[in-house]
Amino acid sequence: MITHVSQPVLEVHDLTVSYEQHPVLWNVDLSLPAGKLIGILGPNGAGKSTLIKSIMGLITPTSGYVKIFDKALPEVRSRISYVPQRESVDWNFPASVLDVVVMGTYGKLGLFRRPGKKEIQVAQNALEQVGMTPFASRQIAELSGGQQQRVFIARALAQQADLYLMDEPFAGVDMATETAIFQLLQDMAAAGKTVLVVHHDIHSAMNFFDWVIMLNLHLVASGPKEQVVTEELLRKTYGGKLNLLTQVTDLIRKQDFNPLKR
Amino acid sequence: MTVDTNALLIILTGALISISCGFLGVFLLLRKMSMTGDAISHAVLPGIVIGYFVSGSQRSVEVIIGAGLLGILSTLMIDALRKKAKVQLDASIGITFTLLFAIGIILINLFAYKVDLDQECVLYGEIAYLPIDLWITQNGLNLGPRITWLAGLNFFLVSGFIYLLFKELSLTSFDENFSSAIGIPAKGVNLALMSMVSYTTVSSFESVGAILVVALLVVPPSTAYLWTKGLIPLLRLTAALGILIAILGYYLAFWIDSSIAGMMVAVAGAFFFGSALIKGKWPQMLRGTSPSPESLLS
Repeated sequence: MITHVSQPVLEVHDLTVSYEQHPVLWNVDLSLPAGKLIGILGPNGAGKSTLIKSIMGLITPTSGYVKIFDKALPEVRSRISYVPQRESVDWNFPASVLDVVVMGTYGKLGLFRRPGKKEIQVAQNALEQVGMTPFASRQIAELSGGQQQRVFIARALAQQADLYLMDEPFAGVDMATETAIFQLLQDMAAAGKTVLVVHHDIHSAMNFFDWVIMLNLHLVASGPKEQVVTEELLRKTYGGKLNLLTQVTDLIRKQDFNPLKR
Repeated sequence: MTVDTNALLIILTGALISISCGFLGVFLLLRKMSMTGDAISHAVLPGIVIGYFVSGSQRSVEVIIGAGLLGILSTLMIDALRKKAKVQLDASIGITFTLLFAIGIILINLFAYKVDLDQECVLYGEIAYLPIDLWITQNGLNLGPRITWLAGLNFFLVSGFIYLLFKELSLTSFDENFSSAIGIPAKGVNLALMSMVSYTTVSSFESVGAILVVALLVVPPSTAYLWTKGLIPLLRLTAALGILIAILGYYLAFWIDSSIAGMMVAVAGAFFFGSALIKGKWPQMLRGTSPSPESLLS
């Protein structure tokens, strides 16, 4: 169930990635429409992060290629933004929240030039959007996990890009923040930006995404949410794991098991 | 205690060297690469010997170029061992710099009859001889100690390097993936930093020696790191510590008549342990066992 679109924002063609002979992504071929909030779903080790990193050029694929806005990555780099996993950096780095968000503007500044008033204004607007303005001068080590995640999203917003790739932006984020961030991402999609999000939770994926990519080494599905999120495809993506879970739920229901009753 | 020109020159040179090393050390520390600085300071030895052998002089550009190339080579070797041969970072550092240092020692012994260079000089250096090693132009004009000029030039270049590449250095130190993603060449910035470390090491080894350069790269930044929350304050405090270390190191060495460079590093170490005692997290048992007033009341 793979839907291709005409005039795609992002095309991935026959992408295969392997670490030392081990394929982690197998022959992925998809195209994505503009102005949508797109979720990448799949079990652990399905290659979700690998897909995003290959699109960003951080991993060299074994075969296949990626086209963004119908061009190669280096030509359109300034129009793409990236949110890495929160654990990929050391948060004890001596920098304030604003310092980190200003880093989002560095790509457009070019070599040797320093961020000025304009860049700081952009960063402050981005902080406002994620509701972190009161923390602007706080050292990043003193933030909670969810706040750190919002700082990373603000940094991506400060890049003022057209395509956003986010690697697990909801890891360690509480429900209220998750809903608030999803709201923000939906607004961005409504404004014509394309937002691609690696995500774990199938339930919230159903509520928020417009388009869903299901991945488990190979591409299981890519298409509008209503067509793609079916039990059959979910079972195909999550394999035995989802199967086991449904079996357990069925058993509990059948035997009317309640640990609090006895 | 005397304040004469010699003392002033030695302190000035010491301060310039500690500030240059400290500035670069801050970025090594933030990249968790302090030990790479250590590796470079030893790995440049064969480069120094080859440069010396080619030019016949300890004071030539060839020596600095040779050392710089070896510094970059050692960085690449450490990276290759880690990524291609899947050796742990600490092991690949240990393998690389001991190997290159050993080659340096073999070269020194091979060329010993031609080269006025020995391990002692490279390892320890002697800043106290600085006032008698003067830079005299061909028409006899005395411009003062050569090593002070070298340290000044080094300080100027390191400060310029950090001023110009401040945003690139800080971003690649914090988040390498993100910087690559937005098109800032993290590998290039890293190699530039390592070349500066190599150059600084060579420029400083005559006065403070290779071992003490390592201390100046690691200790003042680590001390300042305990006290500061921002990158600019961290660099400022590192510089202030550099000056303080030079002054105290000189006078304490003068007082007990010992090695100035050694005393500078001992002072730096004392600052670090003092800071760690104040700022570190210690288990309750080390803070005394007297019961709190509340527990006495209940």
